[in-house]
This record gives sequence, structure tokens and C-alpha cells, in this order.
Amino acid sequence: MRNKIAPILNLVEYEDKLKPLTNRRPVASLPFACRYRLIDFPFSSLYNAEAESAALFISGSGHSLYDHIRSGSTWGLDSLAGGGVFTHSQVKLKADRSAESKHDRFYYEDHYNYVTRARAEYVVMMGSAFLSNIQIESLMHFHEDKDSQVTVVYKKVNRNELSSDTVYSALELGDEEDCDISGVTAISDVKEDRFNLNMETMILSKKTFLDYLYRAKQADMDINVNNFIKFSLESGCSVYGYEYTGYLKVIEDIKSYYDANMDMLDEDNFNSLFYRADPVRTRSKNSAPTYYGKSAVIENAQFANDCEVYGTVKDSLVYRKVTIAEDAHIEDSIIMQDSCIEEGAYLKHVILDKHVYVKKGARLEGTADNPIVIAKDGVVYAEGEVKEE
Amino acid sequence: MKTETVAMILAGGQGSRLGKLTKQIAKPAVPFGGNYRIIDFALSNCANSGINDVGVVTQYQPLVLNDHVGNGSSWGLNRHNGGATILQPYSSVDGEKFFKGTAHAVFQNIDFIDQKNPDYVVILSGDHIYKMDYEKMLDYHKQQAASLTVGVMPVPWEDASRFGVMATDRTDRIIEFQEKPDNPKSNLASMGIYIFSWPRLKQYLVDNQSKNRQMEDFGHHVIPAYLRNSEAIYAYSFEGYWKDVGTLESLWSANMEFLDPDHDLNIRNRDWRVYSKSPNTTPQFLTSSAKVKDSMITDGCYVAGEINHSILSHNVKVGKNSVITDSFIMPNAVIGENVRIEKAIVGEGAHIYDDAELVGTEDDIAVAGYGEEIGGYSDEK
Repeated sequence: MRNKIAPILNLVEYEDKLKPLTNRRPVASLPFACRYRLIDFPFSSLYNAEAESAALFISGSGHSLYDHIRSGSTWGLDSLAGGGVFTHSQVKLKADRSAESKHDRFYYEDHYNYVTRARAEYVVMMGSAFLSNIQIESLMHFHEDKDSQVTVVYKKVNRNELSSDTVYSALELGDEEDCDISGVTAISDVKEDRFNLNMETMILSKKTFLDYLYRAKQADMDINVNNFIKFSLESGCSVYGYEYTGYLKVIEDIKSYYDANMDMLDEDNFNSLFYRADPVRTRSKNSAPTYYGKSAVIENAQFANDCEVYGTVKDSLVYRKVTIAEDAHIEDSIIMQDSCIEEGAYLKHVILDKHVYVKKGARLEGTADNPIVIAKDGVVYAEGEVKEE
Repeated sequence: MKTETVAMILAGGQGSRLGKLTKQIAKPAVPFGGNYRIIDFALSNCANSGINDVGVVTQYQPLVLNDHVGNGSSWGLNRHNGGATILQPYSSVDGEKFFKGTAHAVFQNIDFIDQKNPDYVVILSGDHIYKMDYEKMLDYHKQQAASLTVGVMPVPWEDASRFGVMATDRTDRIIEFQEKPDNPKSNLASMGIYIFSWPRLKQYLVDNQSKNRQMEDFGHHVIPAYLRNSEAIYAYSFEGYWKDVGTLESLWSANMEFLDPDHDLNIRNRDWRVYSKSPNTTPQFLTSSAKVKDSMITDGCYVAGEINHSILSHNVKVGKNSVITDSFIMPNAVIGENVRIEKAIVGEGAHIYDDAELVGTEDDIAVAGYGEEIGGYSDEK
């Protein structure tokens, strides 16, 4: 099905509640499950749908994202014939978007240029905060079958699966069988305990996209799924909901990020995301196998390659190139790439960002609801002092 | 920029002493150390030595090898017009060009080398485990104004008669070559690594072939001819870890040695990396019933059993209550529950069913072949 979709990834997402993890990276390049970044999931969906290019809209430094994506070859986006990853960084930060600071014309122009030049029939709009593994091909079939103006992906969820102050919205379905959407409601205004979470992923024809792009430009509005649903409903066009039934976690704060990682230690969740016909692809790195020493004690944990483990690791996720010394104890924690944990250290309910050094005998203990986060390049001393870069 | 050096990796050998493991794949493609194939070491040495033009000469069962090597991008070789090129026998008006020996394989690929028009050709074999800077050896070759430099390493005198040994004079010039001699005159064993000045070698290969003089093998024909003609042949001594993994026992013991965190190969050294084509796979999952000691495990593994002093390559599954000891498990092998594996090599994609046993000894390593199935059916009905 090559050339059928022109994907637009809006990577200006809610990152404030994910600090300090998002101090120097967008939500899209948050590390996940030992060897991935969140962007791998939408990108893998695109790969499996044989998309040949993608447009990214970001704000701030894109360093970590560029470093991960490179030419896009991992996801088949580097073909000489029509391929490419087109990154647009002139999107203004949400915080800057005061009354007078409106989008400059490039914001609309970039969208216009990408979509008109892409050899595709449909535009797919998605982000990276809805951690899932969506099959775009079936979404497209559904869209065609329904002869829909726009089709939006949703999942039936319980309120307690989301952060209590979530900023996301629910879709109101007109007829359960027919899956037509009658409106969008902020979750804070939804009364029911179970509702249809709007996954802010949409498919629409190129023509409809360009129409709505024009309307957004006239009204100086954001180009996003919610505004487009609004446009469609206003003009009396059909909006359909496509139900996603696989694993989903909305990455909106530290707790949801922590839980999503921990969810992977459950085999059902792990299999839902990873063991399926369409695998998740990530940029491969050269690495040695992980070595587990004679003193290592491992219980229900996941590791990436290139670690050296001599201590105890329980119910935790350990990313690449991590060293864990003898008598160190790690439990219910996330240890990111390049971190080093010295002898006798004790970590429970902790997230160590990349390249954190935990000194001999240091102790950190958070709770499952409120894990302790140590920012990138931090040093944790035995006396409990934490030095951040 | 002119190409100064081309490396030719001779990867066509069957490696028949690896038995079942090389029935479907060539020896250089045999997995090693969890995340590698044997040829990765020679390819990485080329990349790390700044040699970007590499011909990989294949012949026997080349599918896996060709897929693995590709254009060399995994080793960063595909830059500045360089790259890895798979060279397979082909037929032409001169007849079929199957390779009859090491030198003959180079002779058949003269067109490839001439296309690059190098000053030097580095001849390597694709089945040794070592890290070596060929650039230093090349500097030595230039400094000696040699027409041939042979990589050698000192071996214990009592082992010398198992190798081709090079007797040298005080200036390290090679004056005699003995192939597996009863009374070795030297303990400098040839590592099968040669640097030739290309125009001279080409002359030997072409002239002698046209005169129907045998010039098929470097050890048997080319080096003796060079010696007879008083060419400047020098020995370049290598010190460090080097292992020919040509037999089941040596492949097994090289893997067991590789488990040592203080191994001379220093696999985690970022300055001299061993590259490989890494598969897209999941993190390694060690369940609550897993027990892992003194072992290496690779991405994509799922471990519910006990692993002692063993290497699991990528995507290996080990079921509950299975115990693996002193063994090397190749990629994609599936090991059921209650299985006992000891002093064994399990081939790629092999399937060891529940309750089966695969137990060898140090002198007689147990082997499950490539894709072989063991256990699973009861003989009694």
C-alpha cells in the first residue's frame, strides 16, 4: 500500500508535568522499555503501513529527536524516491502562545507544502503521547468503508487509567454500532466512569486536510485533531470513531510514564505492544550482550544490551550501558542509559534519567505514586545529597 | 581520493570441522558471543583500521553471510565510495570461476581489485576471533619496503607443529616457511593475514596462471614462490587474543573464554568496537523464576529458567525449570521447560523440547544443529 498516506506528527505536546525528564527533550524522545523512545511507536505504525515520508512539527531543541531519527532509514523513510523526514521547528511553544503571538505564516505553509507534495491519498495526524501500537492499514480500511470525512481513533478506558487532572478529551458516540461521533468533551466534564478516550489520531483525505488547513489559517487556529473534528461537525460532515483495543497509556506526567514502563513487566502488556505481526522498530545500536555476574540476583526485570550487573535487580527496567555493582539493590525502578550504581546503593521507586551516578551506599526511596526522579547527569551521594548538573 | 588499500576477506570455506553447525551456513557466518557472527571481527578490524574497501569472497552456502554483510553499512564501511562487496563465483567465457584455493579466489576477483586500483591488498580470513589494527601492520609493510608481510604470532613451541610457521632472520625477514612441520624451526605461527603489494602479487597470479603453474593457495604456492624468488617477506608479530574457531571444541571454548569480564578482547571498549548487524528486537526479559549467573544475555531473550556460565544470543527463549550450564546458545533457539543443557552448542533456530537433555563434555561438546529439533516425541507408543 505504498504512497497512500502522508503522516503529520504533532510533537508539540504537554511536557510540563514530565519535567525534569522533558527538560532537554520532547515527549516524543522520552526513553521507554529499555531500548525504545516514544516516537518509535507511531513511526513503527507508519513503517508497517509503508509510509514513505513523514512531517514532524516540533518546538525547542530537536537534538535528541534528530539524534534518534537520523535519516529515518530504520523506519523506511529514507527512500530516494519520495522519501524523507521533514522536520519543522518553527512551531511556537505552547507557553509562548499569548494573545498577540500568533502562528507565523510558515506554520501553515509548511503543512501545505508537505501535504501537497506528498504522493499520497490520505493524511494521518498523530502524536507520541498516546503510547500504543495502531495499525494504520485497518484504520484506513475502516475510513474507506465508512466513507467518512474524518476518522478518529479512540479507546474505551476507565477514568482511573488516566491522570486525575488529564488535559485530554472523550468522544461522544452517537450510535454505538455505527461509531459516528457527535461531539468532543473534556474529560473533566465527563460524568461517566468509562468513556471513549480521544487518542488524537486522525485519518482524512488530502483534500479535506487542505480545506481544514485553510480554515485553521483564516481563524489563526492550531492544526490539530480536535480543531479538525470541530470543523467537520460544524459543516455537518461525518466523523467516525475507530476503536483501538490494544495496549494504551497516555504519557502525561511522571506517574503515567513510570506506570507505562512498569506495565511492560506484565507479560500481557509486553506482548500487546511487542509480540505481534508488526514489530516495533527502533534505531539499532551496536552493543555487546549484557553480562550478569556471579553475584547477580535478578527477579522479573528487563534489560537492554551492554549492561554489567553484579547486584540485585527486582521488578525494574534497565536501559543500555548501565553498571550495577555488587550489593547494590534496585527495586521497582527505571534506570536509564549510561547510569552507574555503586556498591551497597539502595534504590526503590526511582527513575534515574540518563548518565546518573549513584555513589556507594546511597539510598533513595520513593513511592509507586510518587517515584523519585533524578535528572540527567545527576550524582547521588551516600549522605543523600543530590547534585544536579 | 585514491584507494590505497583493499581488504579481501576469504569467507568461502565450509568449515567442515564444525559439523552440523555449518551444514546450512558458511563458517564465517556462524554466530559468536551472543551478538556477533565470526566474520564481524575481521570486518570490524577493517572498519577500525580505516580500510573502507572490503571484498568478501563467498562460495559455500552464502545466503546468511550475504544477508549479514550487505553493503557493509553495519560496520560503517559504506562511506566515501567504499563499502563491502560480496564476491561470489560466477561463470564467464573463460568458464566457471569457482575458487579452488585462497590465492585462486583472489585471482578470480582481479577485476574487482583492479577497479579500485590499490597499492596494497590485505588478505584476511573470515574465521578468526581477534582485534587487530591492520594500519599498523601496513605501516610496517611500507617501512620494510616489503612485497609481502605475514601476520604471525608466537605460539608455545610444543604447539608449533600444528601451524604453518615462519622462520625469520634477525631483521624479521622470513627465510623459511614450514607447513605443520615435525621439527619446527620457529614458533611464529602464520595467522593467515597477509599484506601484499598489489602490482607484484597480481603479476605472480596472472603470469603463473597463464603458464599453468599452480598458484592456487597462499601457503602452498604463493609464499614458497615468493621465497624462491627472494622477494622481501617480513613477519609482523601480533600480541593479543587470537583464536581460530574452526572446531566445535575451539568454538565452544572461545565462547566460554568470552564470558570472562576481563577478557583480552575487551568487547565493551568504545574505541575499538566490534560491530555487527543488530536485529530489531525487544529488551531481554528475565522473569521471576529466572536465575542467571556469570552469563551473557542478548536483547530479545525471554528467560524463565536457570542460566549458569553460558551465552544466550538474541531472541532465545528458555522455559521454566530448564538449566543451562557452560553452553553457547545461538540466536532464535527455543528451549522448552525442564530441559538440561550442559557443555553444549545449540544452533540457530534449534528447538529443544520439554524434558529433553543435551549434555556434552569438554572434549566432546554436545551439539544441536541449525534448526534441529531435539526431544518432543516419545518413542514409546
